[in-house]
Amino acid sequence: MSQLVIDALVLGSIYLLFCLGMSISWGTIDILNFAHGGIFMFSAFVASQIVSNVGLGLVTVCLISVVVGAALSAAIDVFAFQPILRRAKNQRTAELQILIGGIGIGTIPVAIVQFRTLSEPFGFLGSSYETSVYTLGGLRLTSTGLIVLGCALILTLAISFWLKNTSHGLALRAIGVDSETAELMGVKRRQLSLLTMAVSGGLAGLAGALLTYNLGAITAESGETLLIKAFAIIILGGVGSTGGAALGAMVLAFSEVLVLRYTGGGWVDAVGFGLILVVLLLRPQGIFGRKEVRRV
Amino acid sequence: MSRVDRKVRRRLLGAASAFGVLFAAACSSGGNSTVADGDLPAEIKVVSVTDQTGTTAYVGNSQLRGIELAIQEINDQEYLGDSKIVLQKRDSASDTQTAVSQATEALTDKSVSALLGPVLSAHAVAIAPLVERAGLPTIFTQSGSEGVVIGDYTYRATAPMETYFVKALERLQQQGVETVSVLYNAGNVTLAGLGEKTIPEGQDKYGYRILSSTSVQATTQDFGTTATKIAGENPDAVIVLLVGAGNSTAMSQLRQAGYTGPVVGNPAAGAGNLAPAGAAGAGMYWATDFSFHQKDETSQQFVEAYRAKYNGENPLNYAAEGYDATWMLAHAAKNSGGASRDDLQRGLEQVVAEGFDGALGPVRFEGNDMRVDGVLVEWNGTEEVLLDGQESTE
Repeated sequence: MSQLVIDALVLGSIYLLFCLGMSISWGTIDILNFAHGGIFMFSAFVASQIVSNVGLGLVTVCLISVVVGAALSAAIDVFAFQPILRRAKNQRTAELQILIGGIGIGTIPVAIVQFRTLSEPFGFLGSSYETSVYTLGGLRLTSTGLIVLGCALILTLAISFWLKNTSHGLALRAIGVDSETAELMGVKRRQLSLLTMAVSGGLAGLAGALLTYNLGAITAESGETLLIKAFAIIILGGVGSTGGAALGAMVLAFSEVLVLRYTGGGWVDAVGFGLILVVLLLRPQGIFGRKEVRRV
Repeated sequence: MSRVDRKVRRRLLGAASAFGVLFAAACSSGGNSTVADGDLPAEIKVVSVTDQTGTTAYVGNSQLRGIELAIQEINDQEYLGDSKIVLQKRDSASDTQTAVSQATEALTDKSVSALLGPVLSAHAVAIAPLVERAGLPTIFTQSGSEGVVIGDYTYRATAPMETYFVKALERLQQQGVETVSVLYNAGNVTLAGLGEKTIPEGQDKYGYRILSSTSVQATTQDFGTTATKIAGENPDAVIVLLVGAGNSTAMSQLRQAGYTGPVVGNPAAGAGNLAPAGAAGAGMYWATDFSFHQKDETSQQFVEAYRAKYNGENPLNYAAEGYDATWMLAHAAKNSGGASRDDLQRGLEQVVAEGFDGALGPVRFEGNDMRVDGVLVEWNGTEEVLLDGQESTE
């Protein structure tokens, strides 16, 4: 049972790393970025191309992936999302167009990588980093799993602190509540949006690199598979809540691990998402979400 | 290769058939010249519908390379006299609707003599009734599900996996394996069939006992929990029936979980899919319908020709299947002395009755479905090597 807990914590941390970036952009600047999966995968792909020629360590590979993810995400913001926001008639239309635009943009990196790899898996075979296995009292944890756990924990705390205790975070949360009023109060929405998207992309890049190390290989479609889980996790935890995302990721991971251990694997998604549905029926705003109040 | 839910398949078939009939009616007054029976025209038009892009591009492109090599040989050798096979390539991009549309275009073009079909079951199942009704000889490769070989005009140049998978079970018996744990992809009809039918049924015959059988969804990427469970069972062998990156991930996680014994895989572990596991993948072996190491004379001739055409690259099983499918058409035209659709169908009947020696080795048929002996290959940590007691010819 203890080993199951460790397995679930590692799996939950992977989910959390993936959805942290999505959660930040959705919860603050109202951008539900469905290109996140493409950014995640493409960052790892670029790093894998470099590492196949130059033997690099885990930290360098992760840094490359973070930089690629941040640059790609910022570029998407500048060339796609900001023009949509400027031209949209209202916020609701803008959100819908961004969502559809994100889906469209997300297919581009997938198509590029499919073309380059012919849909074969890729990994960091040339990397100097090798996974070690630690065993203590019959419990097993790999070095990569440990790094994934550590990164998820540190980043969740850091992002939570950033959003709650810094002026940038306060401004972002103000945008999340009412962007127009926030701008009238002097918040530089455009610059903050760019910063948020870059951070979100960097987190996607980090998740891409760490997941590739953890699994050994991913494919062009790996990000798309995680996207729907991340979406569900954020809804479950409550949009805009970093702690909620962490809890949602762990709930999904623990349910999956338990179902896989004690029943057929075919029930994993049904039970996991069924559980989320039940929670949302009881608490529509998510576990840590704010209740929306409509004034008339 | 992939599973299509029966209900969805029925709806898809209905929609595809209706679309095909409408499209055929719309195009029936077109100016495409029909190839007359008993006539070998200067150009025999063959259409290939396969995935050059999309999720199964590695299969489709490999198949296409085999097809193009075969056509080059057939034309260069003047195997059909002055007649040359001309290939029209269509990229179905791993999309069923696109594949159906392209196949429909081919069957309504009366100058097209035959179709070299797609590799995905979902595509093949939708296309098979259309080509069967239109009387267009079609040879599919891969496409392992039921509903693909359905009549006189539909053929399959890939042996069903369960017919040669038993080679791996025989090896388990030779290794003295008494207990196995199974991990399989329930979303793939071929692999689910092995996991739920072939392997359980083999317990008495091959002397092993199944400790656990764990199904996973097609989208599962992390096998850490299952690896932990399997390692805890301490089986003599593990059978892993996954596709794509799942093979390398499962192998890495099984080794990390402490399992050190042999692992039986499936041909989807080939084609570079196990390579990212590196040394952790060592010890996985699988039965396949083709390996570039296999020593059959015609297989080695194919391998040499393939390397010469494609810069020393070794062919995958998909290329060998495409190559043999194309040669089946050439043999059919030769047998019947014509390249009309009915000529090719008659010629193919003779091909499947007699069998032939091809890239896949000695080939025979049950109905219109191919059968081969198959070989066992193993990943040694850096490359695939031949098992089976057959030394490589290299």
